[in-house]
Amino acid sequence: MKEKIKIFLDSDLLEKYLLGTTNTQESMQVERYIAMYPEVRKTYNELQENLETFAKIHAIKTPEGLKNKIIARIKSENAGRRKFFRYAIAASFAAVMFAGASYFLWNQNQNLQEENILVNNKIETLKEDMRLELADVRNQFIVLNNPQTRRVNVKGNNSAKELKAVAYINPVKKLSYINVKKLPNLPKNQSFQMWAEVNGEMINLGIIDETAGKEKLLALPYADKAFSYITIEPKGGNNTPTVENIVAKIDY
Amino acid sequence: MSALLEKHIVELLQERNDKAISLLYEHYGDTLYGVAKKVVRDEELAQDVLQESFVKIWKKSDSYDASKAKLFTWLFRITRNTAIDKLRSVNTKSDKEIQMDVSDVYNLGVESIKPELIDVRENLDKIENKYQVVLEALFFHGMTQQEASDELDIPLGTIKSRLKIGLRELRKIYGSSMLLAFILNLI
Repeated sequence: MKEKIKIFLDSDLLEKYLLGTTNTQESMQVERYIAMYPEVRKTYNELQENLETFAKIHAIKTPEGLKNKIIARIKSENAGRRKFFRYAIAASFAAVMFAGASYFLWNQNQNLQEENILVNNKIETLKEDMRLELADVRNQFIVLNNPQTRRVNVKGNNSAKELKAVAYINPVKKLSYINVKKLPNLPKNQSFQMWAEVNGEMINLGIIDETAGKEKLLALPYADKAFSYITIEPKGGNNTPTVENIVAKIDY
Repeated sequence: MSALLEKHIVELLQERNDKAISLLYEHYGDTLYGVAKKVVRDEELAQDVLQESFVKIWKKSDSYDASKAKLFTWLFRITRNTAIDKLRSVNTKSDKEIQMDVSDVYNLGVESIKPELIDVRENLDKIENKYQVVLEALFFHGMTQQEASDELDIPLGTIKSRLKIGLRELRKIYGSSMLLAFILNLI
């Protein structure tokens, strides 16, 4: 160990370190030796003191005015720094504002796009509804005005004597409608449902709602030999008709 | 330089208070100017070096680590390196080597009248020139002992022994100047 320290002290590393001419690796080595060995630390401190003394011996009076020059430079250096920080703060602030505004506008754009899609969909639905409604009204007009249209009075059977409806059937135009005029009162948990049997298949035509309008014509699917039924079903309708509850049958 | 004042200056530097520079200049300005002049051998260049060094000291003030070096050692390193860089940038053409100028050793400005330095200077004469040359090679010119041996044409062994004696003599001066400063402080 002693030998190691001696070799280190004999090398110029400590002196080079003192003057700041060691490279990073050498500096690390020297600092390690200084930290680990009191002898090295003592030598280093002595060298530092010697350096200061030796340098002081060679001190030369600085020229007049140099101090003021240096102080002025330091002050301008500080001002530059402060200026830089001011600009940096202003730039950061602007960046934050810009980011905020961008996000706000982007967000608004997204909202508007969503709204636009919604409105377009609504318009499409309305158009489709109107087209269907118009076609329906035209067909109703054709059926009601055509001399070939048969008018069939529908009456309810024993379980619904008050039921009255009129069916309009036009075999030429292959259109049929029914107008339910009157429905008997039902318990709250039941409702009338309309069915059509076309080519042996039972089609659900929906629940008949008396309040929906007495003059409303309900389209029936047309077939050469078709039947329509009105049944009493649990409230909200059923998937298949309950045969025992048939209250009216339209034959067309 | 009392340890207390040194501590105060370091604190000011770390607080980035520019009073630190004023205090540093008052206490180390002449010494650092001497260091700069030793290296560049030109008054005007030395002034530039001192100015640049103080700007560097100010900019690097947060990198000073008191556990690694005394304040003066740190100031010396910055000033010396700045001076050497300056010399290199000026001397690229003229190819002038940093040479030993023995006469400089005696060229001690008479203007400086710091009491502890008068004492030091009186004592300096006690150090023989041959030791001073070696000390100067080491401290100002940053030569390794081998380089000093080559440059001065003195065997390495002689360099080593002269350095040893020179440092011992220096320590005596340092010790007595410290004692003087201590006594002056008491008064």
